[in-house]
Amino acid sequence: MTGPASVAALLMILGSLGACRRPPAPGEPLRGISPAERARFDSGRAVFAQVFTPETGLGPLFNANACAECHEDPVSGGTGDEVERHAAAFHPEATGRACDELPAFGGPVFQDSVTPLLRAALGIDREPVPPAATAVAARTTPDVLGFGLLDAVPDSAILALADPDDRDGDGISGRPNRFFDGRLGRLGRKALVPTLREFNDGAFQIEQGITSPSVPVEGTVAGRPLPAGTDPAADPELQAHALVVNDAFVRLLAPPASIKASREARRGRDVFTQTGCAACHVPALRTGDNPIAALKNKEVAAYTDLLLHDMGAELADICFGLATPSEFRTEPLMGLRLATQFLHDGRAKTPEQAIDLHGGEGTRSRDLFRALPAEDRAALVAFLRTL
Amino acid sequence: MFRSLSLVVLIAAAASPHLRAQQTTLPHDRVRGAVRSVDTRTRTLEVITGVGYALRLVRLDVPADVPITAAGVATLTLGDLKPGDVVAVSFGSRTGKSLAYSIQRVGRMETGPR
Repeated sequence: MTGPASVAALLMILGSLGACRRPPAPGEPLRGISPAERARFDSGRAVFAQVFTPETGLGPLFNANACAECHEDPVSGGTGDEVERHAAAFHPEATGRACDELPAFGGPVFQDSVTPLLRAALGIDREPVPPAATAVAARTTPDVLGFGLLDAVPDSAILALADPDDRDGDGISGRPNRFFDGRLGRLGRKALVPTLREFNDGAFQIEQGITSPSVPVEGTVAGRPLPAGTDPAADPELQAHALVVNDAFVRLLAPPASIKASREARRGRDVFTQTGCAACHVPALRTGDNPIAALKNKEVAAYTDLLLHDMGAELADICFGLATPSEFRTEPLMGLRLATQFLHDGRAKTPEQAIDLHGGEGTRSRDLFRALPAEDRAALVAFLRTL
Repeated sequence: MFRSLSLVVLIAAAASPHLRAQQTTLPHDRVRGAVRSVDTRTRTLEVITGVGYALRLVRLDVPADVPITAAGVATLTLGDLKPGDVVAVSFGSRTGKSLAYSIQRVGRMETGPR
């Protein structure tokens, strides 16, 4: 066989072996899932996109009529431009818990829309935030691409990154948040929620007012029961199977693959480490044992440690669980290139603005970034835009 | 007289299963969450739990004879429970009121479950 023919044959063999397969595009599932998992993924995508109405259980308090109404950009599971309200009361002087997430008043999520029946009954257009709240937070819509991999990281791997007393003296003191039963949290802007399944199931109730076997009770209106007749759909409004396949969809969504880095972006990767960004935005985590092969023992380039860090007074808003108002979980940077607004409340419109707003434990890295030559700052941003 | 007495016995025999049923058919439930507040005067306990961000507050009446325990300590008083303690509570509910049957303190939120 001649030279070019040999090369062509080799390429055909490699192609058939999948060595040249492109990584999943945003919205596609992880590679290597089984046909049954693919079927659940596809069924779950339909549940994720299902538009609810008051007759099928929407509300009477809600933020969106479908998961995909917010998580839509560029695909289902992506980000969105919606911003919602969370509120809590922080009393650091209190004996015992300093944080009151206001569950007695319908908190911590206060919905921005009501159904016509509730409007007619109470004359409100949104759920009122109680006077007891000491802060109201704006929360943007995160993309959930790759969250199954985050969920599959063992607790031990996250706790190994914690250094709450800064014993190594690097100025970084990541610490875990914990749910109310003591389990390690990892999901949400303050890392309160322990598992992806709970994150997904709870979202139906708080974002759409949809009850399910997981959350069988409707939310209140600022702590008061719903007026009779304002929620005509029988509970549960979503069945168990729908929860299972919806979870499968979110769990199996592939993270956005990094795009090929230019020379400038490769230089930026080095700058990312030199400025200390990687101390919190840990480049890679490893998943553990998992019943889903596609999630088992995988390296995920999430660029987060899933821990809380003090980000300074300028970014502070609400407490949540063990998190004080100025503490936030390190935002995963995977998929950053798909974002159009940055930080937990979307106040930053560029990565540079987001870096500039880092305070607290992020102060040193922020100052190092500011002091960089312009070409190195550009290189760092170029790197971030490959994620 | 014997007939009247027999009638009374018959009525009592018919009613007692119903009475026993009223005492034992309180739905049984469990909650594991963090103590939000303790009121030793009214003997009430509030526990916060939830699913994801769908948080739930469970308000419980705690009769004086309810066993309250913790690992390594035989019994606790209601006043020994503090906000932030993680507790596992078995309780029953009956129209608007939840009654604790047993309370076990399993740890603190900060230190994780034991």
